[in-house]
Amino acid sequence: MIDRDRGAPPDPHAPTDADTPADSVDVAEARERRADDIIRRKQEERVRSAIKDELSKDDTREDRPRPEDPGPLRDAVIELERVHLAFDRPILEDVSFAAFPGETLVIVGESGTGKSTALKLILRLLQPDSGRVYVKGKDIAPLSFTEALDVRQQMGMVFQSAALFDSMTVFENVAYPLREHTDLSDDEIESRVRQKLEFVDLNPDEVIEKLPAELSGGMKKRVGIARGMSNNAEIMLYDEPTSGLDPLTTGTITRLIMKLQRELNVTSIVVSHDIRSAFRMATHIALLADHTIRFFGTPEEMAASDDRYIRDFLGGF
Amino acid sequence: MRFIFARPFYGGDLVQQMDAIGVQSLGIVLLTGFFTGMVLALQSAVQLQTFGASMYMGRLVSASMIRELGPVLAGLMVAGRVGSGIAAQLGSMKVTEQIDALNTLGTDPIKKLVTPRVLASLIMLPTLTIINDFVGIVGGNLIAQFYLDVPTSLYWRTVWEQIASDGFLFRFIPNDFVQGLTKPLVFGAVISITACFFGLNTSGGTEGVGVSTTRTVVTSSILILVLDYFLTQLLLSLLVAP
Repeated sequence: MIDRDRGAPPDPHAPTDADTPADSVDVAEARERRADDIIRRKQEERVRSAIKDELSKDDTREDRPRPEDPGPLRDAVIELERVHLAFDRPILEDVSFAAFPGETLVIVGESGTGKSTALKLILRLLQPDSGRVYVKGKDIAPLSFTEALDVRQQMGMVFQSAALFDSMTVFENVAYPLREHTDLSDDEIESRVRQKLEFVDLNPDEVIEKLPAELSGGMKKRVGIARGMSNNAEIMLYDEPTSGLDPLTTGTITRLIMKLQRELNVTSIVVSHDIRSAFRMATHIALLADHTIRFFGTPEEMAASDDRYIRDFLGGF
Repeated sequence: MRFIFARPFYGGDLVQQMDAIGVQSLGIVLLTGFFTGMVLALQSAVQLQTFGASMYMGRLVSASMIRELGPVLAGLMVAGRVGSGIAAQLGSMKVTEQIDALNTLGTDPIKKLVTPRVLASLIMLPTLTIINDFVGIVGGNLIAQFYLDVPTSLYWRTVWEQIASDGFLFRFIPNDFVQGLTKPLVFGAVISITACFFGLNTSGGTEGVGVSTTRTVVTSSILILVLDYFLTQLLLSLLVAP
């Protein structure tokens, strides 16, 4: 179980990387102050909520907040709250974390620890056995299938295999969300597709008519990112974005994820094995081990940790 | 079923699937129907000649093709060609996360992938069956003409006599047609739903795709043959000849 209030929203003007030790201290202090504010606000909310419950005679309402159920964190874009999930064996146990606007939260951990499952919970492709998943403060568990489709439109997902539609060209892939969910004209769609492809450092004229099978692994990932962000998604989810790529392409994809955060203030959740990339792009890192969050904090805090498992996990990094 | 046919409706995908399921199956259905009609006539020729009943060749071929062989053979051919194709395509999309990608892009995979395939099968299988029946009867005509010396005009007159002899539904729809078109409608639903079910439930990588494809062809073929019996029994009891 992690400290729920540790993930305070970052100051939009504050640098994301520790440029100097003094800056790093300032950032840490600012985050602590904000965390205190959030704790105070949450406590006030709980007191108000408790009074309201006492005054309410309708005790039979099932959606009435329970004392052990603190509700969504204010300002959190994505939040998992005490999530449990098991299939034939436990996958996630008591997992909680939150991502605030403009943050890049990287979830790391050994294979089979449920990292990708956490993304599927956020997308509501899976539902937790217990606990809550909040997207922009809204519990997504009770949503109907159609409502869940609407929530997913706010998010862009980049799959490990890129998952481009192989019967469609690059243009059709990137244009897909626009054709599905907007009333943009063909010219506007083409302009948007070209803009997104340029953002991910691809030359539209070269790739637009190609089929996914004609692209390299790195190009597929970049087209996947362009497709994910084509609907101007505020939340980007990445499942192993750098796996199977050479070191240079890995660097390119990592820089791209950082560019999305820096230039578009996109909130990102990245599932990755790649510790080097994770440390470069993360504002917070969550380490999943034994089905639960073993560590949640900044990359600096992780690097400074004395925990034997964390030190082993980081290896020679 | 209500959910499958709910909005949004992907018209473009429906047309594409009608082409893939119907138009592209035309060749195999034409060949199957033509040779089945010919072999049916050839096998019957000896017996009919023995009893001096060569003139009934048209009746025999049309009854067999329209009621049974046309729907069943078209069904089996489409199960092998289209059912396996649907299962392999959807299975590949499943194992390469393209189905999850559709979900995350706010698209319901059932509406986008299943509905057009089911609708296209419901439309195209009866159409293919009509074509299959017709070329089968034409094949029988060739054998009747060249082996039994039955004139074409007589052959086609006996074909129509057979169709008319089984009575009409609502006074103008021949019962043979009702039977011959109800079956492919059911078979179309069986093939497409079976293929989509196994395709979307594929797991285990490329090997899983192979398993889903095999299961689709085996299951839909068996279902076609079993349902054919029960549909025949049901339709015979409902469509009583006058």
